Amino acid sequence: MATFLTKKHLSRRTLLRSGAVGLGLPFLDAMVPAGTALAQVEAMPKKRAGFFYLPHGTIMNNTPFGKEVDAWTSSGSGDNFQLGHILEPMDPLKKYLTTFENIENTAAGGSVHTLNPATWLSCVRPGSGSTPELATTLDQVIAQQLGQETALPSLELATETTIQVAAGNGGFYAVTTSFSAPNKPLPMEFNPRKVFIQLMGPYDTEAERETILRKNSSILDMIADRTQALRKDLGPGDRALLSDYLDTVREIERRVQIAGERDMTGVDVPAAPVGQFEDFDEQIKMMFDLIALAYQADLTRIATLVMAAEGTDRTYEQVDVAGGFHPTSHHTNDPARIADLTRIQRYHMDHFARFVQKLADTPDGDGSILDHSMFLYGSNMGNSNQHDNYPLPEILVGGASGAMQGGQNIILPERTPLANVHLTILDRLGIPQESFGNSTGIISEV
Amino acid sequence: MSKQAMIFENSLTLTPVKIAKTAFWLALSSLAAQSALAQGVIGSSEASNTLVQEYCVECHNLEDYSGGVAFDLMDLGHVDQEPEVWEEAINKLRGRLMPPAGQPQPAQSEVDALVGYLETSIDTSAQTQHIGHVPIQRLNRTEFATTVKGLIGVDIDAEQILPSEIEVEGFDNIANALGSSPSFLEQYIAATRLVATQAVGTPLPKYANVFHELPDRNIGFAGGSSAARNHVDGFPLGTRGGMSFTHFFPADGEYRFNILDIDAGLYPRGMETAATMVILVDGVEVNRVEIGGPEDLAIATRDGVVGGDVILAKLAGLSANVEVGTHEVIVTFIERSWGASNNATGNGRVTGMPRIGLGVEVEGPYEPRGLSLSESRERIFICQPSELAEERSCAEDIAQNLATKAFRRPVGAEDLEWLMPFYETGRAEEGGFDSGVIELVTAILSSPDFLYRSLKIVTEEPRDLNDLELASRLSFFLWSQGPDEELIALAADGQLSNPATMEAQVSRMLTDPRARALVENFALAWLNLDELGAVEPSDRGFNNGMRTNYETEIRLFLASVLLEERSVHELLTADWTFLNDSLANQYGISGVLGSQFRRVTLEDENRWGLLGKGATLLRTSYGDRTSPVLRGAWVLDRIMGTPPAPPPPNVEVDLSIREGDIPTTVRARLEEHRGNPTCMACHGLIDPPGLALENFDVTGRWRDIDPLANATIDASTVLTSGKKLNGPVELRNHLLSREDQLPTTITKRLMMYALNREIEYFDMPQVRKIVRAAAENNYTFASIITQIVNNEVFRQQGPEEHENAIASTEIGVRSQFP
Repeated sequence: MATFLTKKHLSRRTLLRSGAVGLGLPFLDAMVPAGTALAQVEAMPKKRAGFFYLPHGTIMNNTPFGKEVDAWTSSGSGDNFQLGHILEPMDPLKKYLTTFENIENTAAGGSVHTLNPATWLSCVRPGSGSTPELATTLDQVIAQQLGQETALPSLELATETTIQVAAGNGGFYAVTTSFSAPNKPLPMEFNPRKVFIQLMGPYDTEAERETILRKNSSILDMIADRTQALRKDLGPGDRALLSDYLDTVREIERRVQIAGERDMTGVDVPAAPVGQFEDFDEQIKMMFDLIALAYQADLTRIATLVMAAEGTDRTYEQVDVAGGFHPTSHHTNDPARIADLTRIQRYHMDHFARFVQKLADTPDGDGSILDHSMFLYGSNMGNSNQHDNYPLPEILVGGASGAMQGGQNIILPERTPLANVHLTILDRLGIPQESFGNSTGIISEV
Repeated sequence: MSKQAMIFENSLTLTPVKIAKTAFWLALSSLAAQSALAQGVIGSSEASNTLVQEYCVECHNLEDYSGGVAFDLMDLGHVDQEPEVWEEAINKLRGRLMPPAGQPQPAQSEVDALVGYLETSIDTSAQTQHIGHVPIQRLNRTEFATTVKGLIGVDIDAEQILPSEIEVEGFDNIANALGSSPSFLEQYIAATRLVATQAVGTPLPKYANVFHELPDRNIGFAGGSSAARNHVDGFPLGTRGGMSFTHFFPADGEYRFNILDIDAGLYPRGMETAATMVILVDGVEVNRVEIGGPEDLAIATRDGVVGGDVILAKLAGLSANVEVGTHEVIVTFIERSWGASNNATGNGRVTGMPRIGLGVEVEGPYEPRGLSLSESRERIFICQPSELAEERSCAEDIAQNLATKAFRRPVGAEDLEWLMPFYETGRAEEGGFDSGVIELVTAILSSPDFLYRSLKIVTEEPRDLNDLELASRLSFFLWSQGPDEELIALAADGQLSNPATMEAQVSRMLTDPRARALVENFALAWLNLDELGAVEPSDRGFNNGMRTNYETEIRLFLASVLLEERSVHELLTADWTFLNDSLANQYGISGVLGSQFRRVTLEDENRWGLLGKGATLLRTSYGDRTSPVLRGAWVLDRIMGTPPAPPPPNVEVDLSIREGDIPTTVRARLEEHRGNPTCMACHGLIDPPGLALENFDVTGRWRDIDPLANATIDASTVLTSGKKLNGPVELRNHLLSREDQLPTTITKRLMMYALNREIEYFDMPQVRKIVRAAAENNYTFASIITQIVNNEVFRQQGPEEHENAIASTEIGVRSQFP
């Protein structure tokens, strides 16, 4: 293989290419979960995880009209499992569905909008300093364990910009649901074209792909060398920042390596989108399609999608709502506006259900992709009229490779931390932990 | 112990030494005090103490401890010992955020005296002097695009090829927030390759078919929009309608243009009149075609969709020879005399005419003929090897020249050692020398030497930046890109650090077109006017064309104040703006004809300055109604620099008209909720400035009547201080009543933008020093910039804060893929 190599990195790259796993190498140590043999991971079914964030809560038993307008809460289990109005699109797939009551997230408490996205998957109160200070979010904890065999450890997507005035016009904890480390917020991509290129690469032909991957390898070597050189004469803080950059470089090296081995046979690749769609229907559908494509082609196993941005003023003419999502979410207990809001919430569930159905129809090993998936769909707000964080609407969807029972509504003790759901997800994905965020224990009924 | 007794005891603890020190500060303070004196009287420590006891200690005491502050424990004689708390207090007082609305209020003169005393005490103390640290930072995507444009003349749309940056208070150039994610790096490397290929051209180009979408379908179609009938701003005079786009032509050769829709379908109104369509590349006509009129109309009408295809076939494969490079393409129609029309149909109104729909495709190159000298190639290829033996040394010259500019430092043999292998790799390919240079450019732009701006040499004490570091900081500040040759030359000579040279360079740089970056990246971000698309008015009369007008107007207006030696006060008071016909119509101004923007003097005082601009008024509204809350918060935050607290949890905040209610004005609904004392505490502060703007509707039109409530607009309002105002003019005058307030806001924001870090309490003495000095130059934007770049805070690097640094090292190490 004619490959441009610098002497310094020969040993590391050769190792990577030959597939030999040198656990003694410091960076590989960092890539592979300690004590996990890769072969063992491969033998297990490919588990997928997904996190689907909806801002501004849902209409449930949280208005003065009580159960009369509750469009969310489900009841029963098995054949008697009855879904709330918003969840109805999930009815054909309800054996995959688990709903909860009485979930709270105190980490977001009192923030109105500004902390909701980032605390949803962290359940940790952020620091107040000028640098980001949170925790590794659930999706990234999973990505760092289950995402290391795919070209992309995880995908972080949104359907629109997450910089919104009502959510503080930017800021570390409003613009993303994902932190790969306590100080590393990840950008949420909302341009489907960029996502497509991220997944498929900017190449027209296989030959071109090979050439560019090879060239990028040398570029990455150079970047790593130069970053090391630049670290001299810097203070410890600046050196730490460059260490982060170096880690990023190594992560890309890993992807380049895996991308060289990918096999797309049998995968139906859609035409590359040219950019963001003006039509929101098309935009949200494309984002779901790209996630489905990534799962199917095993380009990633962990995805996070912000289905509408926190504080968005987007209007939903598709379901006849003329006011913006955020203003409408302050429904002032007006029945007409509650109905508007319910339609917006149902609209998002419709799209999600279509996506889930698609995965149920996509074969994967001994079942479908859905059989091997575990998705969390929900919000970090309860009653949007008051910005409260209890009770929260959260559902789990998927077969989790047999680790999740499904088909039931679980009535939890009052004010059960959302982090208990997260801890349970980790457990069911085979990544058991003592605790997560402010968790108090696993939800055994799941 | 009662509160009174505790205060008494505090004042008793003043020892003779402390009293002497106080006297010393006061003497020191006299210089700084002059401008404060001009504003009013500076209070004494005793008078200040009395005021704080009377108005603040009620809540901020040891027992209640509101906001974590106990003024009864603090010594007004030693303000400089706790500058962080007092700076916060100054800000609250300047914005009159405290005492809260509805509570007893001191007189403005008393507030001014206390503010003067606190500021003077802090500014004149040696203890409060501190220079902050600016961490290493990477170029953000805007700086990348701007720098690449300056370096090798390639235009790229950074938003399309790089991920969003995290913004802090609207700015996307804050070092701490510019992290590196895998998505960033992956896209970044792809972007550098793209840029390098576009700059050099493609030695072995492949055929490609690129679609350029019509930017806004409203513009193309005559039905429902006048845009297709009118001249498009920036297009050659004598044309109407059409679209433009920039296209990268990878090599010299023949290209073919396909017009994908001309409105010749089932109801072929586009064919009713004859027209001449022209294609221009960089302003030069390369093709023209006659379309429309009786024959085409007959084909389209008679044969329906099939006929439409026949007509479109005439508009496919329009050929032109174009040279390598990125060029602007315009596809438009020649304007004709409609009076002389021989083929207008219908009742005499001409509405049907050919117009571009969907967009334009560019195919090619066919028969590429190599790479001629484009602007980009001219900049990169400072030599051309005439024989094989010259190639290597020429490539080295190219590398050295480009890397010196890109790395913002001298480049030596040791750099060539790691750069040249990239050239060799490319040289070995079919594309030869050109391919080698593409690899070279890619490597230069990918390297962290280009991507990261770092201040090396760590010291325990603040140190002066060297001339090269200063050149970079200055250039990124004013131009959002690395220094040009003149700056580098001055820095190399050690001349730049001379304050007079800096001042001269600021003048030069502000008159350069590159200074537009300050409008685009600083001013629009500061004012939060960079994303007008975020508000979608339910008013059907408002379209994207009007939004574009607002965007154009605000940019031209900001440039006319900020870049033309004017006082920043004129941001609020300027009696001019920039209008075209449709925008003038929106504002109710007659006599402005044509689609191009021109400077217009505003007779109506209500329209003066930022408060009368469509961009401001639209951005601070909801789609279906005005919002005095958003507008008031905008004024307090962006103009006064004293942002109100965010809304507390568990409050109901909505003013929309409910089903079945009799519509009332927004004001009436707001007042209803301000009747609640909890709401009043904040909304008594936030709403009043917004209410003064109620005569402007969602899209910035003037109105005397609220059409929904069918009530006369009342724009009168009472501020927390008790001051009464009515309408935009009085609000504007009030905002300027403290002449240093707006300049202080701008200085803080500009310093944040220039230093790439958040402004901390310890920066405030420097902020005030800059503002005081700028006062002598009538607070021009240029004078504020000059004062900033000649201030220690800009010219020095502070030591790293060790605690933080160590903490972040640990995080960095621990957190990566545990």
